Amino acid sequence: MSVHHITAQSLRLVLREPTVGLIVALFGGLVLLSGWLGWQATATVNKIYLDAAAFLAAAGKPVPSNPVLDASPLILLRNMSVYVSLIGALAAIVTGNRLVSLDRTAGALPLLASRPVSPLAYAVAKIAALFVLIAALTAAAAGISVITMLALPAIDLAPEDWADLAGFFAISALYMLIFGLIALTAAAGSPSESVGLLIPVALWLTVMFILPALTLNLTPTATLNPISAMVPPPDTTFFRLTGWALGPLSLSEIYGTTAAGLLHFSPANWISRAAIPPAASFTLWLTLSGLLALRALIRLPKVSGDYHA
Amino acid sequence: MAKPLWPATAKGIPVTDPILSLHQLTKTFGPSATAAVDHLTFDVAVGEVFGFLGHNGAGKTTTIQMLITLAQPSSGTARVAGFDILADPAKVRQNIGYVPENVRLYDRMTATENLLFFARLSGIANPAARVAEVLTALDATALGPRRVGSFSKGMRQRIGLAQAILHRPKVLFLDEPTSGLDPMGIQLLRDVIARLNRDDGMTIFMNTHLISEIAQTCTSIAVLGQGQLIYHDRVQAVTERYRDAAAIEALYLSLEPQGRLAPNPARVPT
Repeated sequence: MSVHHITAQSLRLVLREPTVGLIVALFGGLVLLSGWLGWQATATVNKIYLDAAAFLAAAGKPVPSNPVLDASPLILLRNMSVYVSLIGALAAIVTGNRLVSLDRTAGALPLLASRPVSPLAYAVAKIAALFVLIAALTAAAAGISVITMLALPAIDLAPEDWADLAGFFAISALYMLIFGLIALTAAAGSPSESVGLLIPVALWLTVMFILPALTLNLTPTATLNPISAMVPPPDTTFFRLTGWALGPLSLSEIYGTTAAGLLHFSPANWISRAAIPPAASFTLWLTLSGLLALRALIRLPKVSGDYHA
Repeated sequence: MAKPLWPATAKGIPVTDPILSLHQLTKTFGPSATAAVDHLTFDVAVGEVFGFLGHNGAGKTTTIQMLITLAQPSSGTARVAGFDILADPAKVRQNIGYVPENVRLYDRMTATENLLFFARLSGIANPAARVAEVLTALDATALGPRRVGSFSKGMRQRIGLAQAILHRPKVLFLDEPTSGLDPMGIQLLRDVIARLNRDDGMTIFMNTHLISEIAQTCTSIAVLGQGQLIYHDRVQAVTERYRDAAAIEALYLSLEPQGRLAPNPARVPT
C-alpha cells in the first residue's frame, strides 16, 4: 500500500523538477529530430527515385529498383541508439538522482520514517518510480518512431521488423534503467547531493567515451556516430586483450552492438571479443545495479540521511 | 542543612497507567561508546503533557528518535502505546505523531498535497476530508493551497503539526516545538497542544529547553543532563515546591551542561 503512495508522490515530485523536464525535453526533441531526418531523407530519395523512374520509363529505358527498399527501413532510426546512449542515459541519471535527493533535500526522511513504512517498501517504491518514468520516456520515443515508420513513403515494415523495433526499445529502456539504478544507488549512499550526481556521471563518461577508446579504438567524437561505432577494432594484441578484459564493462559498446543488430546496421563481420557474451554482461549489469540500488535505498539512514541533518 | 534542589525521591514518579515506559534506555555513539542517553528509566501516564527538559546536547532529541523508532537503542528498551520499540516498530509508528524541531516538507508541493501524502501513508480512509478537517482545526485552511516553499517557520510548524495528528495518534512527540517561533506563533502552538490534550486525550511528549514552556503547558516534567535522568515530577509538585517560575528558571540555569548542579546552589532562590 505504502509502495504505491510513495511511487505516486515520487513521480509528482520529479515531474515538477525543471532539470528533469529539461533533459527529458531534450531527449524527446532529439527523438523527434531523428524521426524527422529519417522521414525527410527517405521522402527526398523516394521523390527523386519516382521522378527518375518516370523519366526512364518514358524514355523506354529499364527502371532500377527503389534504393529506399534496398535496405532495412529500421536503419533510418540508427541515430536513436546514440541519443539513448548519450541523452537517454543522462536523463535516467538525473531522474534517478532526483528521486532520492528530493527526499534528502526536503528533509522529509524523518517524517517518512515516523510512518508505518518499511525501508524495503521505500526502496521498492523508488525503483518502481524510476521504472515508470523510463518506461514512459521509452514509450514516447517508441511512439514517435512508430509514427515516423508509418509515415515513411514506399515502406512497409514486415512483422519481424516490428519485433526488432520493439526489441530495440526494450533494450534501450533497460540500458537507461541501469544508469537510473546506479544514480539511485549513488544518491542514497553519498554524503552530499553533488557527489551523488557526480558518481553516475563519471561512470557514464567512462562507459560512454573511455572504454570504447580502449576496446574499439574509438575517439570520443566517433562514439557519437552510430556508423563509425560499428567499425571493427584493429586486430592487434592490445585491442584483443582490452576487448576481452574490458568488453564486459563497456556497457555502451554492448548496447550499441545490440542496438545495431536490432536496427539492421550491424556489419556482417562484427564479433565481440569480450570474455563474457554481451547478453550475459548486460544481464549482469542490470542485476547488479538493481541489487545495489535496493541495498542502498534500504540502508539509507532516515535521520542522518537528511542533507540538513 | 540546605534543602536539596532536585529531590532524589522525585526521580521516576510512580505512574499507574503508563503510555510511555522507558527501561534502561541507552544510546552510545562512537568508538569510545559515549553515552548520549544513559540508562533512562521512567514512565509517562496517559493524557499527560510531558515536558522533557535539558540543555542543548543533553540527549533529548536522541531519546525521542529512539522512542519513535528512528534510531535503535544501544541497550535497554521502551514501550510506546503498549508496543515495544524494538519488537513492534511498525505498531509504534501507527500510534505516534512526530514534529521535528525544523519541519521540512516538500517545498514544491502545496500544504494540502504534502498532508495528503502523509495521510495516505498512514492508511487514512478519506484523506482529503481528514486533511481539510485538520487544517480547519489548526486554523490553517488558508495555507492549504499554498506551496510550502513560501512558508515562514511558524506556518511550517503548523503544517508539521497537522501531518503529525492526521492519523489521530495516541502520543504526539514534539521536538523543541516553539524554537524560532514568534510570540504569536508560540501562543498559537500552546493553544493547539492544550486542545489536543484536552479534547482528543492525546498524550504529548515535548522536548524543550525553556522552563516557561514547561510551566505553561506541561503537567509533568523530567530533566535530563548528560543523557541521565536528573529529575522527574509533576509540574504541580514543582510549582508547590518552588516559589515561582523565576525560581525554577534559576534552578534550571544552575544545572551545568554536564547535568549536575552548580557548586553553590544556595544562590538559587527557593
